[in-house]
Order: sequence, then C-alpha cells, then structure tokens
Amino acid sequence: MKKLLSNSAVREALRIVLAVGSALLLGFIITMFVSEDPVVAYKAFLGGPLSKFNRFGDWIEESITLTLVGLSVAIAFKANQFSMGTQGQLVLGALVSGVIALYAPLPTILRIPLALICAMVVGFLWGWIPGYLKAYLNANEIVSTLMLNTIAIKIYDYFLVNYIKPADAGYNISALFPEEGTLPSFIPNIPFLSKIHDMFASQTNISIMLYITIIGVVIAYYLIFRTPFGYQVRMIGSNAKFARYGGINTNQTIILVFAISGIYGALAGAHLTMGINYHIITNISISMAFEGIIVAILARNNPIAVPFTALAYGYLRAGANIMERSTDISREMIYIIQALIILFVTAESILPMVQKRMEDQKEKKTTKKGLSLSKGGSHED
Amino acid sequence: MRIDLVLQGIFSALFIASVLRISTALILPALGGLITDLSGSINIALEGTMLVSAFTGVIVSGFSHNIWLGVLAGIVSGILFSGLLAYFHLYLGTNIILAGTAFNILASGGTIFLLYMLTGDKGSTSTLASGMVPSINIPFIEDIPFLGTVLSGHNIFVYLAFILAFLVERLLYHTRFGAHLRAVGEEPVAATSVGINVRRVKFTSLLISGFLASLGGLNLSMAYLSSFQRDMTAGRGFIALAAVYLGGRKPWGTVVAAIIFGVADALSNQLGTLNIPSQLVQMIPYAITILALVLNGVSNRAKIVEQTKRFQEREMTRITNGQK
Repeated sequence: MKKLLSNSAVREALRIVLAVGSALLLGFIITMFVSEDPVVAYKAFLGGPLSKFNRFGDWIEESITLTLVGLSVAIAFKANQFSMGTQGQLVLGALVSGVIALYAPLPTILRIPLALICAMVVGFLWGWIPGYLKAYLNANEIVSTLMLNTIAIKIYDYFLVNYIKPADAGYNISALFPEEGTLPSFIPNIPFLSKIHDMFASQTNISIMLYITIIGVVIAYYLIFRTPFGYQVRMIGSNAKFARYGGINTNQTIILVFAISGIYGALAGAHLTMGINYHIITNISISMAFEGIIVAILARNNPIAVPFTALAYGYLRAGANIMERSTDISREMIYIIQALIILFVTAESILPMVQKRMEDQKEKKTTKKGLSLSKGGSHED
Repeated sequence: MRIDLVLQGIFSALFIASVLRISTALILPALGGLITDLSGSINIALEGTMLVSAFTGVIVSGFSHNIWLGVLAGIVSGILFSGLLAYFHLYLGTNIILAGTAFNILASGGTIFLLYMLTGDKGSTSTLASGMVPSINIPFIEDIPFLGTVLSGHNIFVYLAFILAFLVERLLYHTRFGAHLRAVGEEPVAATSVGINVRRVKFTSLLISGFLASLGGLNLSMAYLSSFQRDMTAGRGFIALAAVYLGGRKPWGTVVAAIIFGVADALSNQLGTLNIPSQLVQMIPYAITILALVLNGVSNRAKIVEQTKRFQEREMTRITNGQK
C-alpha cells in the first residue's frame, strides 16, 4: 500500500478519483435534501448524456470546447502563469471568425480556414499583451488578464451592437451564418458515408473541429514535452529564478506561453460561433473560461490528459442540463460539484494528511522508530 | 441631446450623489481586496463573497421580516465564506487563485441553486418582501442647497464605506497588526523569522476582507436594490480588485480608484444619450487599470534595482575599507 502510494502517478490518479468521487457524493447528499426523488435525479444526471443520440452530440460538442479552453489554461499554468485571459481570447476569436464566416465572399473551402486562421492570429496577439506586460513591465497577470477580458467583451459588444446586428433585429444577435460559414460535419458527405453523415448532421453539431482539436492536443503535447521551448516552459513553471540563472530567456518564453495559450482560447471561440451557435450572440460564454481552469487542473496541466478530463467534465455538465430538464433539481447543482472538485483536487495537503494519519496509526501499532513520515509534505504558496 | 445638457447633468448634485451610491459597492470590497493584497494573498473570491452576503441578507430578512437580522446574517455568511477560503488556502494548501475561482463558482451556482429551491424562481427574489436599510438625512447639511443633495440622504452603507476607509487606513498604518500584515505581505520569511505568525495574520486579513466584501454585497441587495438577482455582483468583485492596483495599493488611493470606476459607470449611462458608444466609455477604467498596473510594476522593479545597487556599493566600500 505504501509503496503504491509513493508512486506519483498512482497518487495523482487516486487523488483525482477521490476528489471527483467525494464531490459527487456530496452533490448526492445535497440532492437528497432538496429533491422529491433524489435517485431519479441523480440517475438523470449521471446517465443522461448517453440516453439519447442528440444528447450524446451535446456532450461531445461541449467537450471539444472544454478541451480547447482547457489547453489554453493548461499551457499558461504549466509555466506557472496564472492567466485568466482565456475568456477574452475566446470572445475575440468568436468575433473575428464570426465576421469572416458572415461576410467574406469565399467558398467554404477558403472561408473556414481563413476564419480559423484569423481567429488564431487575434488570439495570439491578444494573449501576447498580458505576456509582454508580465515579462517586461512586471504587471500582475491575474489582474491584467481580468481587465483585458472585460475590454475584449466590450469590444465584442461594441461591434455586435453597432455594426453586425441587422437594423431590424430586436435582440443583439447577428444574421444567421450562411452555409459556407459554418463548420461542416465531422463525417464527410460522400456517397458511402452519406447515411452516417445524415444521422450525425441532423441530430448533432459535431464538426470538423473535432479533428482540429485532436491535432491541437498533439501539438500542445509535443510543444510542451518534446521541444526546447517546452523544456523552458516546464523549467519556468517549476522555478522561474532557477530557469533564469540557467540561461533561459524567461521573458521571451513567458510571452510566447501567453500568446500560444491565446491561440487555443480563440479556437474555442471560433468553435462556439461557427460550430454551434451559427450566430454572433451576446454573452457567448459566461463561464466557459473558468471551466477551462477546472479541466486543466484535473489534467494536472498535461495537454495529453486534457481531452480526457474535458470529456469527463463535459459529461457532468451535459448530465446536469438533462437533470434540470427532467427532474426538480436545477442544473446549478453542477457548479457546486464543480467547485468541490477544484477544491478537493487542488488541496495539496489532504492526501498527505490522510497518509500521515494512516502511517501514524501504523507506527503506534508497530512502535517502530525512525520512520520518516513527511513524504509529500504540505507546502504553502 | 445636446452636449451642454449632458454636461449639466454630469455636474449636477444628483449625478455626484448617484456616483457615490454606485461606488459604494466597489469601495467596500476594494478595501477588503487591499487588505488581503497587502498581506500577500490575492482574494479573487471577493465577487463570490459579495454574492453570498447579498443573497443571505435578502433571504434572512425576507423570511424573518427583520432587516437588521438580515444584515447581520449577511455579514456572518460573508465572514464564514472567507474563513472557509482561508482554511483551504492556509491549512489545506490550495493555491489561493484556484481556491478563489472555486469559491466564486460555488457562490454563483450555490446562490442560484438555493434561490430556486427557496422561492421557485431562478432570476430574483422579487416575490420576497425583504426590505431596504434606511437612509440617513444629516441634520443641517441636508438643508444646504448643493451639498445637501450630495452628502445627505444616502443609505448607511455609503457612509459606512467612507468611515471604514478611514478605519482601514488606521489599521494598516497605525497599528501593530497593520505593520505585521504588511511585513507578511512584503516578505513572509522575514516576518516568520521575527516571530510573526504568518498564517494567523493572513487568516485574519482574509476574514476582514470577507467582512468588507459582505457589506458591499449587502449594499447591492438591501440598499441599492431591494432584492437579490442572480449574479447581481456582475464582476464588481473583480473591478474592486482592479481598484486596489489603480489606487497604488493605498487605502485612499483605492477609494478614489473605486470612485473613478463608479464615475465611468454612471457616465456611460449619461453618454448613451450622446451617441457615444457606452461600451467604449466603460472600457476606459479597465485600460487605465492596466496602465496603473504597469506603472506600479515598473516602479517596483526600479526600486529593487536601486536597492540592489545601493547594497552593492555599500559592500564595495566596506570591502575596500577593510583592505586598507
């Protein structure tokens, strides 16, 4: 048992399973207090996403967005940069890709790539700003990214209300994107696949963004773990001062980290407008960027783990929506569970504390002396 | 509308009074943000704390028909909420930013969840008669033409905000605890070495910030409006955090910065009538905050460079003197 616990990967997995498990359990206890029929509610919550085909689609679509925002957060967090800027990057990515999808007089084959590339460029530039401010001007990245988020949202609203919204529209919403401006289904519409294509296209919005996201995951993984740049990122993440003494140009690397994180955030925005909404709408994502934080934390900021935690977490979110529709529990339940998961996963000292207690008890029994107990140890920051 | 009419509107006593009212919900949490920031932990859960207090105050006063009981409950809930955050951060080793994020999510989701369970409504407590705290008319001053409108007739939170700003300034710069708090924020290791209990100081500062944020939240739901609405803080907790930096991490600077955000908010309503896009006006304080952040960061770095240089020179002279 002890040997097993000292294996870091096992500990990591155990911690996450424990955290998610106890969060779900607490959620169930709350449900018991407020629901007429808690078992039915929880069944809808945990089994819902697989109960119907379109619900399965919702789950996958959500997971794609979550993967992209999760990567955006994970890359920044990997370098120990607490960027909250995903929201702003997402919003601007959505705006730029939406405008091109709506107005650029090009066929699908050119319009979609152009929209995505422009979104990525804007995300890169918008991410670059707080990176530069942090690296060269020593500005706290948490506050600066929060400010930039609001500025981005105001820019988005400004263009939407004043230019994009049709004059006769009652709501702040753009015209429907033309066919050429929407992301095509992930199954190509070719003769021998046409049946499957129709099935997916009619019931879900799973688009080619699925493939782009998978490529994005691989690139992020490769970048972080297989390139000199990634080595620098990880080194800065574990000890920035040491990295600087070791001859790494930390400023350059930090700026790039923010900018690359911006690319993924913007892609998430492009996915939301061109893949799901087909309109430019206000309040495109209220909490998606913060959802990215939980996905990244669960994945321990490892890009290759992000899609899996996104799927797991997307499943819970989709389940919560279904629970709200079919039972008396409101879907805000998921936020409570979500908060608990973050707290349980990030509480560094819970597991070592439990472990220490276990060992203490063992020690009492065997009265062995000289066993070092402080494995893992708590640390503050 | 003509520009002179707008200008007239801006320089009217009513406008200034409304700025004070709008700013109160920023000044109070910003003071809380200042205290935690100086103690070395950024409290991004101000937003959530405000929300929890705003909600608890309305619910308790609505069901008990006692406004002051509601206020008390709101304050207690805010302090407990921050206490829990402090416990996770200081005793369970959760990073304060991540814990704060979790607590914000918990507050937003939890209040809506409970709102729905208690009132059957997901939007607001408009069906619940929860009451408002009374306004105060200051005798004599209320009769002075311009000054009376500006200074008199506000709810108690407006006055409380300024009184507390004064008290926070006293606390930070004229008490032993304040000196300890700033020492902890500046250099926790050094603070520990002279016998300051870093953890306790940080815990206390988070509790105080919870108290201040709770007043800000109560101001929203029991004075500025008379009901709770979902996510009614609308980012004020984050703006409050920005005000701390815009104000140069000083008490009165923070108050002034919070008022600047209040002015921008009030102004964007006025300018809407002038065909100036409100979004662009609302953007200004955020841009200024980034600027302030940069200036603050650059001057901090310059200070460190200066100190290092002085230290090196001193050492050099010491060494050369020693060689003689």
